[in-house]
Amino acid sequence: MSSASLRPGGAAFNALRLGFGTLVVGFLLLPLVAILPLAFTDSVFLVYPISGPSMRWFGVLAESQAWTRAIVNSLIIGTGATIVATVIGTLAAMGLRRELVPFSGLLRSIFLLPMVVPAVVLGVGMQILYARMGLASSYLGVIIAHAVLCVPFVLVNVASSLASMDPALERAAASLGASPVEVFRNVTLPLAMPGILTGAVFAFATSLDEVVITLFVAGPNQTTLARQMFSSLRENISPAIAAAAFIIMILTFVLLLAVKGASLIGALRKKREISGL
Amino acid sequence: MREPDSFIHFKAISKVFGAITVVDALDFHVARGEFVSLLGPSGSGKTTLLMMLAGFETPSGGSIHVDGRRVEHLPPYKREMGVVFQNYALFPHMTISENVAFPLKMRGVARTERDTRVKRALDLVRLGHLADRKPSQLSGGQQQRIALSRALVYEPKVVLMDEPLSALDKQLREHMQLEIRALHRDLGLTVIFVTHDQGEALTMSDRVAVLNRGKIEQFDTPSGLYDRPRTRFVAEFIGETNLLAGRVAGRSGETATVALGTGASVTCDRGAAFETAQDVIVSVRPEMLHLVQDPGADNALPVTITDHVYHGDHIRLHLACGESHLVARAGRRDAAPPIGSKAFASFAPGDCSLVVP
Amino acid sequence: MSARLKALLLVTPLVVFLGLFFLWPLWMMIATAVQGGTVRLAFPQTATAIASWDGSDPPPAALQAALIRDLRADTPQERFGDAVRTLNSQQAGFRTLLPRTARTLREAAESDPVDLATVDPRWSDQAYWLALKRSMPAYTDANLLAAIDLKRTDEARITPVEPDFAVNRAIMLRTFVIAIQVTLLCAAIGLPFAMLTASLSGWKRNALLIAVLLPLWTSLLVRTAAWLILLQDSGLINQTLRAIGLIDSPLSLIYNRTGVLIAMTHVLLPLMVLPIYASLIAIPRNLMPAAAALGAAPLQAFRHVLLPLAMPGLLSGSLLVFMVALGYYITPALTGGAGDQMISSVIAFYATGTANWGMAGALGLFLLAPTTVLYIVYSRLSRTPLVQT
Repeated sequence: MSSASLRPGGAAFNALRLGFGTLVVGFLLLPLVAILPLAFTDSVFLVYPISGPSMRWFGVLAESQAWTRAIVNSLIIGTGATIVATVIGTLAAMGLRRELVPFSGLLRSIFLLPMVVPAVVLGVGMQILYARMGLASSYLGVIIAHAVLCVPFVLVNVASSLASMDPALERAAASLGASPVEVFRNVTLPLAMPGILTGAVFAFATSLDEVVITLFVAGPNQTTLARQMFSSLRENISPAIAAAAFIIMILTFVLLLAVKGASLIGALRKKREISGL
Repeated sequence: MREPDSFIHFKAISKVFGAITVVDALDFHVARGEFVSLLGPSGSGKTTLLMMLAGFETPSGGSIHVDGRRVEHLPPYKREMGVVFQNYALFPHMTISENVAFPLKMRGVARTERDTRVKRALDLVRLGHLADRKPSQLSGGQQQRIALSRALVYEPKVVLMDEPLSALDKQLREHMQLEIRALHRDLGLTVIFVTHDQGEALTMSDRVAVLNRGKIEQFDTPSGLYDRPRTRFVAEFIGETNLLAGRVAGRSGETATVALGTGASVTCDRGAAFETAQDVIVSVRPEMLHLVQDPGADNALPVTITDHVYHGDHIRLHLACGESHLVARAGRRDAAPPIGSKAFASFAPGDCSLVVP
Repeated sequence: MSARLKALLLVTPLVVFLGLFFLWPLWMMIATAVQGGTVRLAFPQTATAIASWDGSDPPPAALQAALIRDLRADTPQERFGDAVRTLNSQQAGFRTLLPRTARTLREAAESDPVDLATVDPRWSDQAYWLALKRSMPAYTDANLLAAIDLKRTDEARITPVEPDFAVNRAIMLRTFVIAIQVTLLCAAIGLPFAMLTASLSGWKRNALLIAVLLPLWTSLLVRTAAWLILLQDSGLINQTLRAIGLIDSPLSLIYNRTGVLIAMTHVLLPLMVLPIYASLIAIPRNLMPAAAALGAAPLQAFRHVLLPLAMPGLLSGSLLVFMVALGYYITPALTGGAGDQMISSVIAFYATGTANWGMAGALGLFLLAPTTVLYIVYSRLSRTPLVQT
């Protein structure tokens, strides 16, 4: 679309566009930007201007058994759920790739449903099921529940990296003498890896952020960082929450940058080298 | 039974997808060291035929023999054929030398020997200096040469190419055509080359199989196809031609007399395959058609000049002959008769072909 | 091995996993909502005996004896408790009546003949027996009816519940209204923003896209917490407004509908912008110049060319936002007041607060059904993927 044609001309219209764009970007980013410095306040109130900087509230988190336990739990459960979701999600994405399975389209839609079904509804069902299966208030139970929510992210990311792969590459490998196993190991897997990693990071971020299902299936021993933050937010808002939020954000962004950044840098380098040719 | 010069033999080979027959009981031989093109419009079955030879499609019927051995049930990685794909299919996550080394690695060739052979294969296409680059850092022509070098490095019995030049621009394509021909000659390769570009097929091949709707219309040398097309499809698909419908009025030996729909009568030297009263089409290439003022010239047809079109090295004359439209080619120095003037279009009996309608 | 079989084997683990831990729980929730199971489980012999009692005569001795045997049996405490709760919701009084009767029966010797009416006079009241019978069917619509503020009378007629208890319909309506409001807000901001983004190029376009993606990649809980902090009375918004002299006393922006709408719009806005943006950049670049060349003024070109082409994106974005908003729990729970809670919070209350899974399941079904229908419509309409990466 041409930008020129969207512009009925005039400085006023341009100013309007600029103003509107700035306002929306501000609305989108303000909360993210505003909460980070508050993690370093010295005050007991979550208000600006911050007094500090101080690591006081990180200290509070580190000393509180509830918070440290919650952080450890989040790491255990997040890792477990990510592994489960990544393994079975990747396998399924590869299986669905060529639409060889009957009802591929329907299966794909069902596989994405956990993203759509309201968390509370799934939570109620899981609570009933876990009471019967004896999985209630167990790490395994929480890991499984989180993995259900994480699977769609893995599936979508792996499927899109497989879809962008030229099928001739695998044929080429076979024609050059690679057996099916070697084709998978040398061509399919390495090329799907960015998608698998991105899916895994989204899976971990999803587990890290999950509150609702955790409320239903976790016992006091499996309280996660998000769950702990949720109850603190309902009780009293202390800067410890900002410190916890800081940890969640940094963890997510570092992981995302690790996978997204690698592909971004790769794209930039490619651009530079091609133009340099 | 093997014919003495049969290196690759397609025997009654068919491929059916659902209700569609893509390849229809084809039978033909390719000799060792021969460069054969499969030429046809899209959907003619040429790529399917190639993919069956490479092992990516299973034939619905018939068999394929390579060097006396049936191969149609072997998986692709056991067929020992070098395949060059349409978009090169270079592995984007490997360097150029890793790409070329890949088939050697799969065959368990030791590292030191691998390095020597990769170097030799890259030097063959004069790209040794790019060994450590990634494919995405190469131009289209360079990628094409790497794909070629990768398909040749393990010295396969046959090299299959699936429209390998279609993604290149015209100039580069012509250059690569020469390069592939030189490799074929120097290494004594047997090449099966799929293309929809008739010019490419004619320049490169020893023989060309023209495919249409899963059947071979004609399998012949380039000049055989151009000068002696046997079917209307071949006459039209290869080069440009004038078609005149008629019926065989009489035949003596090779020479047939054809009564055209316009009422005129022409003779043609290549009529041995036709019977009297059979419907035929006379095919005359534009460069064989000459404008004369003498109604008694060979096969002279009365025409009106309707247009001149300038083409740089020649001029194309559009002619109306009754209801038919003819095209003749004239040198640029020839004095072209003015538009609207009348003349006779004449051709020698040896310069036309009779084809089945 | 055939390629088809291999593909099937690859998909199987996920099919089994989601079948077991996704579809089965949903099925169990629905089943729990319609099963009259709790009372049956606790009183199996009574269930058999009561089936032959038509409810018009006084309960026969055989029925009384069956109930006595059930009460003497070693029923697990939890199952007994569930049954008592269900019965009490049918007929007030069971909460004291059953434990007392059970205690008396266990203290008495096995062989002693017992008359229930002497243990507690309420047993001579036929209403208790009728409530017992009503609670015994294999399947019941009681929970489903209660979820929409209806109940069956003793004569099995469907009537509205007493106005004091009729809260579910109001909450469903509120859920619907909030979801609509959020969708409209997202559309009003998202459509022009997506158009602006698509009209730019280079770093400007990238900056706007990153501004949309960054919140999407940030924890929902963190974003909600951030709004809580920003919108509080002493928060940045009120501070700023006061500093520039626009207000004297703080605006109440949190723990009310304003807070819910601001936070939910922020959370869901990216889901609106991305599909619209995707449909806009798919428009060939020369279409707007072509419209201009054909004589369309900028506004006409916008109205007749750009807007219709942006419509599919707007539609899928709106469906997505509405569908997701319907089931929201965390954000309204944290930023809303008591009058801003959506259906999810009621379901959570029944499930975790009172362990009334039948009711939670029934309300859950009323949330699950529209969400599923919307998802089916969405996946038919939309070619943009559900998650943007």
